[in-house]
Amino acid sequence: MTDAERLTVEGIELEVLRRGKGRPILILHGFDTIDSEAPFLDLLGRYGELIVPSHPGFGQSPRPKDFDTVYDLVHLYLATLDALPSDKVTLLGFSFGGWLAAEVGAACSHRLDKLVLVDPIGIKVSDRETPDILDVFNRSPDEVRRRSWHDPDRFAPDYNAMSDDALVVHARNREALCLYAWHPYMHNPQLPRWLDRIAVPTLLVWGASDRVVTPDYGRAYSRLIPNSRFALIGRAGHHPEIEQPEAFVERVAEFLNP
Amino acid sequence: MQAWYHCENVYPFVPQEVLDRADSVRASLPNKYCDPDIAANLFEECLDEHLLCDELGVNVVSIEHHSGINSLYGASPMILGILARQTKRVRILSLGTLISIRPDPVRIAEEYATADVISRGRLEIGFVKSGDSEMVSGNANPVGFVDRFWEAIDLILKSLTSHDGPVSWEGKHFTHRHINIWPPPYQRPHPPLWAATGDPETSAELGRRGIINALVLRGPEASKRAFDAYRHARREAGLPAPGTDRFAYAALAYVGDTDEEGVRIGSKLLWFLNTSLKQAPQYSRLLPGRTPPEIASQNYRTQPRPGAPVVRRPADSLIGITAEQAIARGILCAGNPDTVYRQIMDIHKTVGGFGHFIFIGRSGFLDHHEAEKGIRLLAKEVLPRLPAATTTAAAEPAHAAE
Repeated sequence: MTDAERLTVEGIELEVLRRGKGRPILILHGFDTIDSEAPFLDLLGRYGELIVPSHPGFGQSPRPKDFDTVYDLVHLYLATLDALPSDKVTLLGFSFGGWLAAEVGAACSHRLDKLVLVDPIGIKVSDRETPDILDVFNRSPDEVRRRSWHDPDRFAPDYNAMSDDALVVHARNREALCLYAWHPYMHNPQLPRWLDRIAVPTLLVWGASDRVVTPDYGRAYSRLIPNSRFALIGRAGHHPEIEQPEAFVERVAEFLNP
Repeated sequence: MQAWYHCENVYPFVPQEVLDRADSVRASLPNKYCDPDIAANLFEECLDEHLLCDELGVNVVSIEHHSGINSLYGASPMILGILARQTKRVRILSLGTLISIRPDPVRIAEEYATADVISRGRLEIGFVKSGDSEMVSGNANPVGFVDRFWEAIDLILKSLTSHDGPVSWEGKHFTHRHINIWPPPYQRPHPPLWAATGDPETSAELGRRGIINALVLRGPEASKRAFDAYRHARREAGLPAPGTDRFAYAALAYVGDTDEEGVRIGSKLLWFLNTSLKQAPQYSRLLPGRTPPEIASQNYRTQPRPGAPVVRRPADSLIGITAEQAIARGILCAGNPDTVYRQIMDIHKTVGGFGHFIFIGRSGFLDHHEAEKGIRLLAKEVLPRLPAATTTAAAEPAHAAE
């Protein structure tokens, strides 16, 4: 990770990736931190300055003592908006980071110009006996792999081929995710009530083959956000930015610069 | 020495092909494979074994495991309640309610105090950390569970020892603003405390707190490491050296009339290791929180990197073990009374002594009749020859309330 830098917010030190120039685009990662080699970074970097922190406990970002809830993460990113020089920031969140971005949008949309949620989790839409979000801790690794990717053989990480350091990062990511999102599992029961506070144009991008959270879940999510639209990316699962980087960036670029 | 009978009340009657097909015999094996009539018979038999122990002067252990063939004792406080009433003489150890998966330690204190009162002060309280599939069955966050374990212990003790009206607790993991349990415990300040653990860091903390350290199926070497850590921590803290009354060793054990009988029947106990430990990876090695990421990371490899250290949980090395290996490793004591006496004394010598021998005397297809025979022989032919425990200076003796 050669271009890794640090960003300090409220005394909390974050590992951060930066790419591109122009309007600030704050990117909140999902279950895993974002690989600095991911092709979508350079493609998206043509449309703005990407600021990609690793959440505390993920990647190389330390987790301060007693920083252990989504509440802490939301306040951290609200503080991050204040720490950035621009008045308005574009906020983009993937999956778990999409949940955080939706929370930040509901709390503070006057600091945003646009919001992009990519296969976000964070709300409950079905009845109490129907899980909406695949249990990535309790289901078998094979099932999680199958349901996460359109083409798992091509895109799912091969743990046997990864370096020890990369695997430690993955294990840190899993542990931090589990700490933050075990209960209530991957959602905030109160969030749907407040999503209509998001007062900026919002794009929900969804992998058509996502079976961690399905496109129908995404459509329900979109209905709760007033000025939002929903876009499907074909031949992609929970990570359209990885499986279809060109199509993904094209959709996001159209939304940012209509 | 005190002997303690430990029976997991296992359910071995699921067809082998179902077990072979299942990726886990815990947490996810459908309970349609558990016949309530058979379960009722098993409870009756196991509770009768505990009553036999009461006649023979062997203390009894009530354990707790959840959602699997390895135990039907998922609701340990209920078993404690029965034992508290139906036994009359022996001591009763809860080993224990799984405090890191229960949401309210005050409730646990209430259950313990009730059992202590019903038994008129014969309860001992053991804490176990739990982990793995039980985090999943218990819906409990596996990350941070050790921290939760210690706070739960503190809150249970606060609840058991507060007698002057409501007290409040607003901790990191638990809040309870109005703690005033009725009845309070029979023993003061509280029943003797135990914890089952194997890692030296935890044993050190137990040492500082004076809690009895039980090592379950860890063998003499690992037990010695834990007991040494316990002794060392007390020395460092300027506390009196522990007597053997602070140490408990738990093994599978069966005493027969002959060595042949002891080993033949005792071998049936290995079912617990060979059949009931199977857990899917997502409930065990891939569950976050059990080991630090630096170590856990290697668990993601399905083909270990050449030269990489192999990371195994203690339980992993027990699966597939033979009777000879189990005896050699001090996991199983089996034979005629003389043989079992010698095996126990060899372990006793290796670890530097223990005052409590916990014997898992029934498991798998070892039946009720066989279990009772083994208990009788151990109680009559082995136990009287085992050395008395030494006591720990300034340790709080348990005594009945006025």
